[in-house]
Amino acid sequence: MTPAPLLRLDGVRIRHDGADRATPDGVSFDVAPGEVVLLLGPSGSGKSTLALALDGLIPHDVPATLEGTVTLAGLDTRTTPVGALSEHAAMVFQDPDAQIVTGTLLDEVCFATENQLLPLDEVLARAQESLTRVGLWERRFDNPDTLSGGGRQRLAIACALAMRTPLLVLDEPTANLDPAGIDEVYAVLGELATDGDHAIVLVEHNLDQAVGLVDRVVVLDASGRLVLDGPVREILGGLAHDLLDLGVWLPVSTLAAMRLREAGAPIPELPLTPAELTAALDALDSLPALPAPAGRAATPRRSSSEAYRDPVSDPAESRYGAGAPTRPADAVHPSGGVRVRGLDVKRGGKRGPTVVHGVDLDVEPGDFLAIVGVNGAGKSTLLQAIAGVIPAPKGRILIDGLDPATTDPRTLARHVGFVFQNPEHQFITHTAAEELDHGLRIQGVPDDERGARVDAMLARFGLEAHREQHPFLLSGGQKRRLSVGTALIAGAPVLALDEPTFGQDRERATALLDLLTALNRGGTTVLVVTHDLQLVADYATHVAVMGGGRLLGVGPTEDVLAGALIEEAGLRRPPLARATAALGRHPEWHTVTRLAQLPGRVDEPHPPAEFPADLAEATAAERLA
Amino acid sequence: MSALAIDPYREAAPAPEWRYLHHLNPLAKLFGPLPIMLLLLFSRGVAIPAAFVALTLVLLLTGARLSGRMLALLLVGLPIAIAVLGVSFGIWVDPSRLPADALGAGIPLVTIGGWTFELSAYLTGLATAMRLASLLLLSLIAGLTSTGPDLARAMVQNLKVPYRVGYTALAAYRFVPRFGHELEVIRAAHRVRGTERGRGPIAATKRILGYAVPLLASAIRHAERVALAMDARAFGAHPTRTERHLVPWRVRDWVFVVGFWAVSVLLYWWVIQAGLGSLSDSRTGGG
Repeated sequence: MTPAPLLRLDGVRIRHDGADRATPDGVSFDVAPGEVVLLLGPSGSGKSTLALALDGLIPHDVPATLEGTVTLAGLDTRTTPVGALSEHAAMVFQDPDAQIVTGTLLDEVCFATENQLLPLDEVLARAQESLTRVGLWERRFDNPDTLSGGGRQRLAIACALAMRTPLLVLDEPTANLDPAGIDEVYAVLGELATDGDHAIVLVEHNLDQAVGLVDRVVVLDASGRLVLDGPVREILGGLAHDLLDLGVWLPVSTLAAMRLREAGAPIPELPLTPAELTAALDALDSLPALPAPAGRAATPRRSSSEAYRDPVSDPAESRYGAGAPTRPADAVHPSGGVRVRGLDVKRGGKRGPTVVHGVDLDVEPGDFLAIVGVNGAGKSTLLQAIAGVIPAPKGRILIDGLDPATTDPRTLARHVGFVFQNPEHQFITHTAAEELDHGLRIQGVPDDERGARVDAMLARFGLEAHREQHPFLLSGGQKRRLSVGTALIAGAPVLALDEPTFGQDRERATALLDLLTALNRGGTTVLVVTHDLQLVADYATHVAVMGGGRLLGVGPTEDVLAGALIEEAGLRRPPLARATAALGRHPEWHTVTRLAQLPGRVDEPHPPAEFPADLAEATAAERLA
Repeated sequence: MSALAIDPYREAAPAPEWRYLHHLNPLAKLFGPLPIMLLLLFSRGVAIPAAFVALTLVLLLTGARLSGRMLALLLVGLPIAIAVLGVSFGIWVDPSRLPADALGAGIPLVTIGGWTFELSAYLTGLATAMRLASLLLLSLIAGLTSTGPDLARAMVQNLKVPYRVGYTALAAYRFVPRFGHELEVIRAAHRVRGTERGRGPIAATKRILGYAVPLLASAIRHAERVALAMDARAFGAHPTRTERHLVPWRVRDWVFVVGFWAVSVLLYWWVIQAGLGSLSDSRTGGG
């Protein structure tokens, strides 16, 4: 006898007010008590919308039309108020800051049970139990603001646990976290999944960590229809090619194994986690030959706290240290290069704390440099100082031949473009075309020339159809592309981006990085601060690792990811690097850290249709070649 | 289940018993001074606000736990601020509109060219400064000794304000630092776009309007998310909620409010009796 389902969805279609189609569109499935279900689908398939419908927030709170029925613990969510449904389902949302209401952890974790009018003893007992469970009981009197991002998200989970609901719904719970925070949250989720007290519905793009604790996968297609529903191994392992065709991301370990299969490696069952990939590869006597390395054979150079040297009179100092060939003298002021010597940066004025200490860094023109580090490592501050967004001491930075400390912003804009985390923050006019025009007007470009350059930039980023649209009304991907366009319109050969993929799903992030790769191939130097190490692995040519305000090291991506630097900085290597580093039988594979290094090829999910096709295809082909 | 053996839920560092202001209901500390503040708005002269500045300082020094910094601000910073503000307000006083027999009329303090700063103008300015100081201090009685959450709880528990209103206000309080930070980022983002050009009020207004759009867009989105998270946690499911912190209205709160009013009326009456109520003798009716 099968137990009665805890949650039953029957023909669920949800249309947001103002949207022209329903996503999800006709979804039916059950969730049994204790089951862990992962909801997958490409961007725009309605996963998060569906999550909101599971505890009645749709249709009660969100302006949207719900067709079909959602039955939670025998209650029809359409006719039961959200307050009553909250006894059966608890939610954890993406943004930890948008879930915190009170001033201390203890008040926060008691918030729901107090609203439910539970007796005081019960409120306190549950608070202690759930805070202890996520390891925050000792900090119960602290202000939630003093917790790290991972800590705040664990607090949100504790708040959900205090409600003792049989169902937990988590909507992208790690999308806003750094790698350390993601690990913290998954340590908690892993325990919850093993205990089996809760059924869990998880929407998550970070598959590499999620697959380990999931029983079942439900897959929606781009139009929001349910296409696959079954055990995790059957779906992700057995139907991997179908998922790729749907535009769904797979764990990196699975993608790597598919590529190796194409190259002739007899891998019987597709692995889902780095550990399984390691085991599958070690089970083979021989692996397909690795293609010749395309990257520069160089070792990471440790940053030393050398005294400041005049960058102009010291052209021989190259990134590869003394033994490397010196560059010709005319490379002293190359277009698009960055040279930093002995840089200290204070935050918040002259008396503020020093958050960047003694950084020496060289970026050659045409490099794609990723700056990585844990939260508070000083990586954003370094990038902002290099690009002249925050003041830096004189004579320490040369970017495209200019010192940002002594250059006026208008001139600097012709040499470096800066893109903030949230594109909306940078918009200052009323149409997409005006946004681009503004940058040219500031530079004093004559009227007749401006029109043509704006048109060219709109075309380059696939925004021709939206030229008269208000920037705030563009889609997320369009906003991001417009913000990159505004940064480049003045002709800057260097583009700096601060956490451009923060809070975005894998698909959006990939679309942006494809765009950056295309620009980089066209000669633009790209500097990007990010905490997504797999993106770094797949796109950046060089990686700079920061920790405690210092530059711990910098070098070509493969070398940095294969070395010990990443772990020294408190980061975790990306999944593929973890899998290859653990190999016992194939030592020559220890340096394989990016999919592009593998023999064979495999199709990746297609970029979204709104992305300019020619640009995307060109870059995807180059990346996989 | 009886009370827990060791209560881990108490406030981290409670104020000592004799700091009596901390042990009053926040509403008492609000409603005691409130009518006096209204009264002071319509007072004239230096003496009445000065009397209330003194009274309030005594209350704060005896009844509130004050940090060293706050003590210095109250005892050193405040008198300096009153003196300086008195001069700046006094400069703007038009001496020709003061009655001819105003206190200090015709006594020049400073003469620059054809302009004379008379004592009467300074006293008028000082009265305004003193009034502002007394209002500030009276509001500090509640401000320095009670927390926002306690005030919200007291409004819900004692005044029967619907808890949805009280606790939403508390949640909104958390938005303030967030938007402060966001505004900084937006300003940096706009600076990079080259909007920080141009001086003067028109350019400044345009700039501020430019910040408002992204700030509002993100504020609305944030508020919507917080509202969803609160509703998902049964906010508003019942007309009342379990109160972990009780903020009772006790006899001592009545004593404080009634006592504060009584002392204030006496003080007011005494100052007027002493003939210090106004700038000019004619206005006090020679009492």
